[in-house]
Amino acid sequence: MRISFEGVSFSYANPDRAEKRKLRQKKRKEAGVIDAPASLAEHKSADWGSDPEQVWALRDISFTVEDNEYLGIAGHTGSGKSTLIQHMNGLVHPTRGRVLLDGEDLADKAVQQRCRVVVGLVFQYPENQLFANTVAEDVAFGPRNLGLSDDEVATRVAEALASVHLDVDEIGDKSPFELSGGQQRRVAFAGVLAMRPRVLVLDEPVAGLDPVAREEFLSLISELHAQGITIVLVSHNMDDLARFADRILVLNAGELFDLDTPARVFARGDELRSIGLDVPAAQKFALELREVGYHLPRELYTTDTLAADIAAQLGAHNSPTPDTSTPEVVS
Amino acid sequence: MPLIEFHDVSYTYDGEAFVLNHIDLSIEKGEFVCILGGNGSGKSTLAKHINALLLPDEGRVNVLGHDTADQTMTYFIRSHAGMVFQNPDDQLVASLVENDVAFGPENLSIPTEELRSRVADALADVGLQGFDRRETASLSGGQKQRVAIAGVLAMQPEILIFDEATAMLDPRGRKGLMRVCHELNERGMTIVMITHFMDEAAQADRVIVLDGGSIACTGTPQEVLTQHELLERLHLDLPFAAELSYALRHAGVAVAATVEPNQLKEELCALALKA
Amino acid sequence: MNELAILGRYWPGTSPIHRMDPRAKLLLSLAVMVVIFVAQTFWSLAVCALFVLGFFAISNIPLRSALRSIVPLLFVVVITALLNIFFVHDGTVVFQWAFITITDEGLIKAVFLAIRLVLLLLAMSLLTLTTETLDITDAFEYLLRPLARLGMPAHELSMMMGIALRFLPQFIIELQTIYRAQVSRGAQFKDGKLSMVKSLVIPLFTSAFRHAETLSLAMDARCYHGADGRTRLKPLAYTYLDRNAVLVVALMLACVIGANFIPQTF
Repeated sequence: MRISFEGVSFSYANPDRAEKRKLRQKKRKEAGVIDAPASLAEHKSADWGSDPEQVWALRDISFTVEDNEYLGIAGHTGSGKSTLIQHMNGLVHPTRGRVLLDGEDLADKAVQQRCRVVVGLVFQYPENQLFANTVAEDVAFGPRNLGLSDDEVATRVAEALASVHLDVDEIGDKSPFELSGGQQRRVAFAGVLAMRPRVLVLDEPVAGLDPVAREEFLSLISELHAQGITIVLVSHNMDDLARFADRILVLNAGELFDLDTPARVFARGDELRSIGLDVPAAQKFALELREVGYHLPRELYTTDTLAADIAAQLGAHNSPTPDTSTPEVVS
Repeated sequence: MPLIEFHDVSYTYDGEAFVLNHIDLSIEKGEFVCILGGNGSGKSTLAKHINALLLPDEGRVNVLGHDTADQTMTYFIRSHAGMVFQNPDDQLVASLVENDVAFGPENLSIPTEELRSRVADALADVGLQGFDRRETASLSGGQKQRVAIAGVLAMQPEILIFDEATAMLDPRGRKGLMRVCHELNERGMTIVMITHFMDEAAQADRVIVLDGGSIACTGTPQEVLTQHELLERLHLDLPFAAELSYALRHAGVAVAATVEPNQLKEELCALALKA
Repeated sequence: MNELAILGRYWPGTSPIHRMDPRAKLLLSLAVMVVIFVAQTFWSLAVCALFVLGFFAISNIPLRSALRSIVPLLFVVVITALLNIFFVHDGTVVFQWAFITITDEGLIKAVFLAIRLVLLLLAMSLLTLTTETLDITDAFEYLLRPLARLGMPAHELSMMMGIALRFLPQFIIELQTIYRAQVSRGAQFKDGKLSMVKSLVIPLFTSAFRHAETLSLAMDARCYHGADGRTRLKPLAYTYLDRNAVLVVALMLACVIGANFIPQTF
């Protein structure tokens, strides 16, 4: 399953009209009218990403999501990430260019229908879309829309719930609204998995979860990836992207800033910071140590590999010391 | 006298399970305190006791010397202990920034002339000068949260409570909000911040870790956030520097446990020079 | 987001019309609408149109934006016009086929009503385009005050209205997200099946409740306790602008009545 973007540009408004509107606005501003959005240039560049007057939400994007890869997408709020991923199952259509699913154009209605099944899209805070009386019914919504038989639907519901580590017998008849926040999110996720997608696109799937729930959810995604499902993960968390992604696509103001392995993307630390993104903490620290003379050969560091390499370098001269520092315990 | 005092406070939503269990706690004026804990540890419930949104079932909460159960003091306490909530979209009342910032002091019957200056000062304090005529709907999440802070500041509080106010922000919005918090704290504001971002907690004066409605541990970030086993048991992460220094000690490098990346870096520099 | 503007989302500005007292603006917009109803001929409608265009010129709002803001309600205009075309049978028949009869008078009446409705909508959107929602609700509350003495919760009603207006754009965006999420799960909304509608409506309602819960907490935390003792950032006060506006609307009325006597020739 490959999703190819060929020169995709997207504009919320008709671009020609939007250009004109910009002109008009300029005139108004010159006439001294205070404008709601887009005033105060300094603030605009500092925090204001999602400019509704921006003519192009995406500009000339070309890349391919390869079969069975784990693709990370980074970019700060308003860089066009959400718009980009909504192109992947035909919810949004390019204003210019085209999106192909295994070579077939998503502009075609029939291809779109097929695509909705193969490409599962998990929105931000998906628990907000739960609606049915019971968990099982909610998860069954997708398969029923595919017109599957009752038996097949039941199988899929059980299977989807199992893959998010929930038991259909235990919670299937409960109301989704009785569950905890983390469980609700897993039910919503199961609702997409029940379509048996080959590609999973997830928009900030761990936002708002506590550390334990985060880890659980991320390892859940890794499990699915290990089963052969292609993953596209949108995240603000560079540590997560560095840990899991095969490649990272960086968006900035609707343009493709970079698409490469985590190591090579995060080697451009300063440039990333200039577009409002961070570098994983371990990688950043490794860069700083290199500057003061440490020889750290790896391209991409995690906390563990960094500790190992530092220890190896100091080890020749420092005899290993036992863990002597016992911090004061205050309770 | 401490600004905030909890005396043996217990609270339950349903009369059975206690969300807070015999909490004793005091926070001094000018402190920057972070309250940590997993989902369901009771941290939000604790915060809502400070400004009398919730009243204890057992025990007593004193804020600025007044019992929160004293109904005649409710508005005094709420105006002096302001709260910023998690969802930026849910706490703004008005469509225009200046109207929203004025909402609190309007409720406190502040005269119109003073309202103007309070709104202007509060917006300046959060770095949003000139935003008064903007529509709240056109702001980014981080800006909305700063408007919410300004709305609280306009009541001229002594305590600011953040109930996971950074949870829904992107890294940029989060940094901006933390910067505002620290600036306010430097000017004497008492800050109580509920979060599960460890790097935010590492910047506090003191952290309080909640577990199952009880205080599991309290101390400086340096004391608490370097305790690997304890935090792991409480389902919390370590800040990066603490994690790395822990891993280094395990690999036999003699560095001190720290939450400060710069301190760790200096130690490693010194070790490299020796080597 | 801009594309979703409903009947004149507030258009910030500093024109005399923006600076008028919202109570005067609310009452005078009603007066202008009455005047538009007084207009009986095309001549007097033309006078109305001139005045309305003049108001927009003063308010510094481009007419195109104003027209765009009434687009969602144009269907009312179209339906009214069609009803008149097909059901007014006075005058000379200009077209007849099967049971459809169109007369010249029907056509004229349709055009007349369409213009009148567009002018009414424009007058209405001028109010919302130049007045912040909280100001409208304040004015509303003030004007309802006599009824408050009879036990009507004027403050609460206007607060509700203000909050509803403040959350409206957000709900539209949320509805769009929910719609897209359900479509991603293969939902088809064309045939309007109940379960499909449910999959949109229930999440929207739960989200509304969730918003309401936090909002009420946030309002409590900011010491809200009803109208009692509340001061205002922008106290309501009539100024010379409002007096002038009254004069302008009176002039408009006089012109329209005068124009009603100019004979129409067709």
